[in-house]
Amino acid sequence: MSQYAMVIDLDRCVGCHACALACRAEWNIPVPYRRNWVKRLGPAKTPYGMSYTFYPGLCNHCDHPVCVEVCPADPVKREFTDSKTGKKITMEIAATYKDPFTGAVLIDKERCLGCGSCVEACPYGARYLNENLDNPKADKCTFCMERVEHGEVPACVKTCITDARIFGDLSDKSSDVYKLVHEKGAKRLTSSEVNIGPNVYYMGSKKDLHLLAEKCTPHEKTWENVKAPTRRDVLMAAIKMVTEKA
Amino acid sequence: MNRRRFLKLSAATCAALASLELENKGIFRPVASDAATCKGLPGSLGAKEVTSVCEMCFWRCPIVAKIKDNKLVKIEGNPKSPTNGHRVCARGNSGIQLLYDPDRMKYPMKRVGARGEGKWARITWDEALDEIAHNMKEVKKKYGPHALAMFDHGASAEFYREIFRATGTENFSNEPAFFQCLGPVSMAYLTTYGYQVSERVDMANAKAMLFFGSHLGENVHLSHVREYMKGLLRGAKLVVVDPRFSAAAGKADMWLPIRPGTDTALILAWINYVIQHDLYDKEFVHKHCKGFEQLRKSVRDCTMDWAARICDLNVDDMTKAIKMVAEARPRVSLHPGRHAAWYGKGDVQRHRAMGILTALFGSVGVPGGLYFPTPIHLGEADCLGEDEVDDLIEDVKPPETSLKDGYAFADIFPGSPTDAIIKATKTGKPYPVKLWGVCGVNLLQTISNPYQTMDAIKKLDFIFTIEVLPTEPAIWADIILPEATYLERYDAVHKKGNLYPYVTVRQPVVDPMFESKPPYWIARNLAKRLGYNLFTCKDEREFLNEQLEEIDLSLDKLSKAGGIVTFKANPYKDLNKPLGLNTDSGKVELYAESYDDEDLDPIPRFEPVPAPPKGYARLVYGRVPMHTFSRTMNNLWLSNECPEGKLWINDEIATRIGVKDGETVIMENQAGYRSNPVTLFVTAGIRPDTVYLPHGFGSRSPLLTKTYGKGASDQFMITNYRQDPFMGASGHRSNFVCLIKDGKKLSIPELRPLPPEIPRFKMRKAS
Repeated sequence: MSQYAMVIDLDRCVGCHACALACRAEWNIPVPYRRNWVKRLGPAKTPYGMSYTFYPGLCNHCDHPVCVEVCPADPVKREFTDSKTGKKITMEIAATYKDPFTGAVLIDKERCLGCGSCVEACPYGARYLNENLDNPKADKCTFCMERVEHGEVPACVKTCITDARIFGDLSDKSSDVYKLVHEKGAKRLTSSEVNIGPNVYYMGSKKDLHLLAEKCTPHEKTWENVKAPTRRDVLMAAIKMVTEKA
Repeated sequence: MNRRRFLKLSAATCAALASLELENKGIFRPVASDAATCKGLPGSLGAKEVTSVCEMCFWRCPIVAKIKDNKLVKIEGNPKSPTNGHRVCARGNSGIQLLYDPDRMKYPMKRVGARGEGKWARITWDEALDEIAHNMKEVKKKYGPHALAMFDHGASAEFYREIFRATGTENFSNEPAFFQCLGPVSMAYLTTYGYQVSERVDMANAKAMLFFGSHLGENVHLSHVREYMKGLLRGAKLVVVDPRFSAAAGKADMWLPIRPGTDTALILAWINYVIQHDLYDKEFVHKHCKGFEQLRKSVRDCTMDWAARICDLNVDDMTKAIKMVAEARPRVSLHPGRHAAWYGKGDVQRHRAMGILTALFGSVGVPGGLYFPTPIHLGEADCLGEDEVDDLIEDVKPPETSLKDGYAFADIFPGSPTDAIIKATKTGKPYPVKLWGVCGVNLLQTISNPYQTMDAIKKLDFIFTIEVLPTEPAIWADIILPEATYLERYDAVHKKGNLYPYVTVRQPVVDPMFESKPPYWIARNLAKRLGYNLFTCKDEREFLNEQLEEIDLSLDKLSKAGGIVTFKANPYKDLNKPLGLNTDSGKVELYAESYDDEDLDPIPRFEPVPAPPKGYARLVYGRVPMHTFSRTMNNLWLSNECPEGKLWINDEIATRIGVKDGETVIMENQAGYRSNPVTLFVTAGIRPDTVYLPHGFGSRSPLLTKTYGKGASDQFMITNYRQDPFMGASGHRSNFVCLIKDGKKLSIPELRPLPPEIPRFKMRKAS
């Protein structure tokens, strides 16, 4: 089974923000929400010298996604098909789920209650709820699976002016991402508290990785600590959805 | 066939499949894909594609616009482009929000309130053009042709320039972009190398790069940044000289936090060092340079110790840096720099010194060094009417005292120094300037002392602007013409003669919105009213085909080729043969005889610029990568990405004066002018005697709804400036600020001792 992943090379990244804007354009993401961001870090002193680097971030499509675990939508059975082999798997999924064949964490918008549990749960702040809409749905990066299915690369990868974003299948030993992760030591942005197997990896100089870790390590927000919606919240959201459909 | 499989097949016919390879090897697809079968594909997939050229900045990357249901949905790089491929930067991606900005100028407008009040009435194009033509004729009749002045920037200005040239004015092309920016570096490299070097520096093949203030990464000229990155990835060393730890400093092997205004001292000491220590390319100097002996003598007292004291640097670091660079010779990319109008006085000489050090490394016409342009000769395009203009102005007398007077080399560049025009407008001396036409220049956010510019505008009989957005100058205009954006119009053929020469064209990707009109139409109809027989082609396509014919191309051929045609580059020279440069001697001129004739130093000398007065820090400025000049701040997406520039201040200073990161303060400059509130960014990455503010924020136009009043403007703090004596560029970095927090003035303590050679700025209160 595949696991799509992205490696971001901070040595190449000049912090131009093209990725964030290409994502916004491709999926028409309303301001001020974002699926894809660049945070500017430094200049600041590190034990390895002064660093001025960037945190290009997006959904990590984690191995153990807390957002999936907290989704309160009623599970339904769904059949998944591997586009490469044609193999099929049937799984029970809530409104947010991890695709068994691509490893992408996705949202079934039709069934999303808009309760915001997943937004709260994500330790990377990768999800948002557009509060301006009458019927908001959680939204976030899809790894551009809609494009990947059609043989395209993610929009942020395509526009990156220095080719600092490398995308591919981590289970494929011949892929660039496999080599960068297993041979070049690209690292996950994790901490002792939050270690849920993110599939976005970072590489770069010691000083830049140090500053990235110092400023952007995910907060302690293990899913037990997440403010779970009450039964009433979930019920109300479900009722709202049903009445609106009717 | 299931739905997904169907979509997959249809997508294959609509879109080429890009590979996951790092380098662009995308297959180019013909301009328009079959939109009918691509309906329902997600995002930008399956859109109709139109090739064009970006103008979110003047670097002008080739692009592909993606159209669905007659609406522009996405902009990507033209995959056939040899420079950017399928990539565009943050601004390129956000062009959609310029096109669909509800704040756009929609109709021709006429001022009804006082100048600067921003009250307008809608009029017709006929009325607007009649009024402009009438006023141009009147002013010319009353005061003579030189009373007309044009300020321009951007591709569309090329057409309007012809009209102003036809009036006979000497003030027909006064690109503030030149006189506030590139002027000094052009002057220096023209003198030394005989051609406009600009950014022709082969960083991709360099073994060492040396930057003086160039902040690539924050300044994003896409292909240029790619070449820089390629050089770094291939292992080139990078030395960055900058009072601030820039994005480039973040990638550098060495950062030299130099005292602002002392770069020439450092370069002269380095020149002396490489000569003394035999670290220069003797063969190149012997064969291709003139004036080495004079140079050697002139710099022999410029020791590293002397420079270290002046520049506030450490001798060991300076030595290590120059050795690192010299070892890579001749593959040294000493970046000539771009915005060079820093202090006025010594700017040309600083870039001369950079050019000379480049020559000592023999980094000329070789991989990794300065390279030569590959000219692409387009057709003359008779229809613009250049011959006609020559006839028209044959009998025009030059003014008794020209605005170029006093600047030894101003006459080799078109137009007059921006500053001279503004002063003449304000004072009527040496002759009155009574009418301004403005296209693509934000006069108030670009030119030093905007207060003086506003005073000058009040003295005008007439001012018109050609605008996409209601910028500050529009607020001051009598007539405003709404111009089509770069996504709605043609412009002249776009050619690039750098390392990957190409020819491409801009073409409309959607029809002009509202009543906006393309520049060719505007220029043609204005010329007609003035009685000039210009722009005889019936439309842009005819004009473009005339230009292309010369190189055996046409719009149709270009279109079939995917919108772009590439040529072989010829950037390097055979150094066994004479270089045959376009200088007086045909060689690289280390000693500039032409300067000697004008009582200017033929070899650069260090002239100190005044240091901050006690209690003040020097204000420097630069760019953020999400914005171009002051032009893109109202873009919904870019404003969201970077709504305001933060004022960088040294961490030790911040602690001493009691301000914290993220706090809001006001700047007060040496003349007592105060800024909008600005957010502080406290960092170790800036010298204690310097503060830094990204350029272009703090808009004063209330009609720019997304940016009005956000952040502070550096330009409105720049009231003290000086002209360079060569061509009249205005230096902007002689302004000093203290901070005001909660109404209390905080003076900046001096942490770095000032050597006796450097005078201190003398305070004079504003009148």
